[in-house]
Amino acid sequence: MVKIENLTKYYGKNRAVNNISFTIEDNEILGFLGPNGAGKSTTMNMIAGCLPMTSGSISIFGSDIAKEPVKAKKNIGYLPEIPPVYPDMRVNEYLSFCAGLKRVPATKRSKEIKRVTELLGLTEVRTKLIKNLSKGYKQRVGFAQALIGNPKFLILDEPTVGLDPNQLAEVRSIIKDLKSQHSVIFSSHILSEVSAVCDRVVIINKGNIKAVDTIDNLEKSLGGNPIINIRVKGPKAKSASVIELTEGVKEISKIEAEGGESFLFSVQTDGDADDVRTKIMSELIKNGIQITEIFTEKPDLEKVFMAMLNKEDKKSGLEQLLEETPEVSEISEEEETEKEETGKEEGDK
Amino acid sequence: MFSIYKKELQSFFFTPFAYALTALFMFLFTYMFNSGIGNMDSSTYSFSFPEIFYNVIFYFIFLVPIMTMRTFADERKFGTETLLMSSPVNVFQIVMGKFLANMTMFLFMILGSAVFPIVTALNGQVVVGQLICAYIGFFCWGAMYISLGMLISSFTENSIISAIIGELVMFAFLFVDDFSQTAFIAQFPKLQSVLYAFASQPRFIYFSQGFIRLSDIVYFVSAIVVCLAWNYISIEKRRWNRG
Repeated sequence: MVKIENLTKYYGKNRAVNNISFTIEDNEILGFLGPNGAGKSTTMNMIAGCLPMTSGSISIFGSDIAKEPVKAKKNIGYLPEIPPVYPDMRVNEYLSFCAGLKRVPATKRSKEIKRVTELLGLTEVRTKLIKNLSKGYKQRVGFAQALIGNPKFLILDEPTVGLDPNQLAEVRSIIKDLKSQHSVIFSSHILSEVSAVCDRVVIINKGNIKAVDTIDNLEKSLGGNPIINIRVKGPKAKSASVIELTEGVKEISKIEAEGGESFLFSVQTDGDADDVRTKIMSELIKNGIQITEIFTEKPDLEKVFMAMLNKEDKKSGLEQLLEETPEVSEISEEEETEKEETGKEEGDK
Repeated sequence: MFSIYKKELQSFFFTPFAYALTALFMFLFTYMFNSGIGNMDSSTYSFSFPEIFYNVIFYFIFLVPIMTMRTFADERKFGTETLLMSSPVNVFQIVMGKFLANMTMFLFMILGSAVFPIVTALNGQVVVGQLICAYIGFFCWGAMYISLGMLISSFTENSIISAIIGELVMFAFLFVDDFSQTAFIAQFPKLQSVLYAFASQPRFIYFSQGFIRLSDIVYFVSAIVVCLAWNYISIEKRRWNRG
């Protein structure tokens, strides 16, 4: 188990990480989520022992990183944001150097190098100079470096940046497989990735922890009930009032005109979604409004993420809340269509 | 420590770097050797190797920074510092590994220069004792410059800047002796003695005359220890200041 307690980091007067605490259990993949400049890399550097903390403590399987660094670092595999590779070395030379650094016994080195090169599909580029490799391959060489010596705890700082979609899926499945033997902390701003891979997430913004929970719980806690989308043919005002008056409907969050008399209503529910859906359907039919489509949509992690980040700003009055609501729904609309791109953009925001 | 040493050696010897640098060194040595023969004393037909060494040390100012400029500057530039820092090695081992690798590279260079005394011995006579002492002095001076060059490399991310600053500092070290004997400095005897204490040149002269004095050895060893310790501190300090 890796324990992080009251970790704080100041850069001069600038506070990068503010008193954060969380734990990473054995055989768990913990997602570390936050926009750029949130303090993710700083935190990871501190956990890996590259940066000293201003205050707080980190214990890695019982050894404190500040007090017994060598012992603690034996259990760490770290892939920083920029893969730490020497451009003038060949892949196998580099990996053998890393094996030496990680104190892999000389007799086991070649076996260990073979294992990681095969795992990450580097067998073909084994004898190439690292500077001649593409970004994706460099990333994988960096990943191989972290896996060498089979450390119990892996710190992966945006391991999937620069990979093509095929490699992306591969690396994700590798990370998932790692779970059986390792504890992993994994940072990313691609949210779909985090929800696909991680057991729990820590959301961090401006150096503060906004949430530590499982993905399901986060979804539930934040406007957690599913959204029902209903496409109807009929007068807008009438349909809206019928839907709104149905029992169990919280509010209509969005109405989209689709030409003619066709409208798409997004409805937030209170209580059991299946129940509410049946009720809405029967009410609409009773009132002679034609339903062309009805489907429920789970609130996804992106919304949770955005809501978490905006939480601080929301503490003011009701007006601001009203102003913000359409914004949130706009973003969610974008996400539906351009999931990959928005993931990156949101990180930038 | 051994793996860092090995990796550094690979970066010297698996690239043309070591060979190009040694070739340049040999070329300069040849030039000094030939001019040594050219200036031979016509009555005794003798020339002095220590003198050639002394002249070669002047070229060291340019060669050693080229050798050491990448030592830490490149680790920072490529972001590989994080790899070393997150591995179960401590900063002392990193510094020592790199120092030993640079020393090995340096030994390779001076081993090449052994060809000149050998050729001379085949065709004439060489005072072996004096030559060995001169080599020891030469080696100590080189080791001091290497530790100095490594220290300067740990200050910056840019290897070219580290080379230029290294050259400046080494130049100052080489001529601090001449400088302390100028009329201007001679006005202040205390300052003169302080500056003179830093001079390596008079130390080397003892070696080249065939003396191995404990005080000279202590001078070079303490200079090396100070530079390496400072190197250690500079890396640790950077970890605290980063950002």
